[in-house]
Amino acid sequence: MSANSPETIEEDQEGGTFMIWLTAVGLTAAMVAIFLYVPTEKTEGAVQRIMYFHVPAAWLAFFAFFVVFLSSILFLWKKEREWDIYALASAEIGVVFCSLVLITGPIWAKPIWGQWWVWDVRLTSTLILWLIYVGYLMLRGQAEAGSMRARYAAVLGIAGFLDIPLIHFSVLWWRAFHPQPKVITSEGLGKGMDPAMLTTLCISLVAFTLLYIVFMGQRIKIEKMKDEIDHLKKEKLYSN
Amino acid sequence: MDNLEYLFAANAFVWAGVIYYLLSLHKRNKALRKDLDLIKQTMDKEADQ
Repeated sequence: MSANSPETIEEDQEGGTFMIWLTAVGLTAAMVAIFLYVPTEKTEGAVQRIMYFHVPAAWLAFFAFFVVFLSSILFLWKKEREWDIYALASAEIGVVFCSLVLITGPIWAKPIWGQWWVWDVRLTSTLILWLIYVGYLMLRGQAEAGSMRARYAAVLGIAGFLDIPLIHFSVLWWRAFHPQPKVITSEGLGKGMDPAMLTTLCISLVAFTLLYIVFMGQRIKIEKMKDEIDHLKKEKLYSN
Repeated sequence: MDNLEYLFAANAFVWAGVIYYLLSLHKRNKALRKDLDLIKQTMDKEADQ
């Protein structure tokens, strides 16, 4: 059975539909946990619940850029278009999640810090990360198609990822406004959090991860369809 | 100090972002599928002639 046979396409569609339903269930469970299950934090009040969107979005943005980093290395090494597609798809999704981080963060900061934005090291390095990958997508959109464009993008995809350890450790290395990590702490995983809060955060993280998988599936399909169109156009051109 | 409007705003932005991206993927997918079908039909017609 070939990769594009009707049976394979049908199986792919069934798998895709199942993932979409699973994601919908995950997101519903996350909303129930965030708004009905988890207790309200004493000092910050209801606004602290923004964390259950903000933190998973940040993790997913970092994960998406890690996939870009890994796929870019594999593309430079193996020179296979498949890895370039994964890098591009993940970069676009990473930018979406990173944008959500940069929107929800200031909405939380305004009532807590009294201002939307401070030039804190973590906030600034996250903004730089977003700019790097927006630049990556612009490079993909502007430069002429071909292996050179993919190679330039791969180098930028790898270099951009180096900002992520800086973002993670910035609040530990320097004095920062941004709250300290509560999940990954020196005392152990999740030791700095109330169990109900940790459970809610985990549910939200799983739901966002499922959303990332659905987005990746759809985005990869689009890029493969573009390749098929290009291939058919070239085939038509040479046959004429 | 519940600041519910901020929680509402953050929630609305997250959902708006997710739905907007999902719709943009759907739109791109639909347009490409249309192009692909058109090319295949043209090629089939040419092959028949």
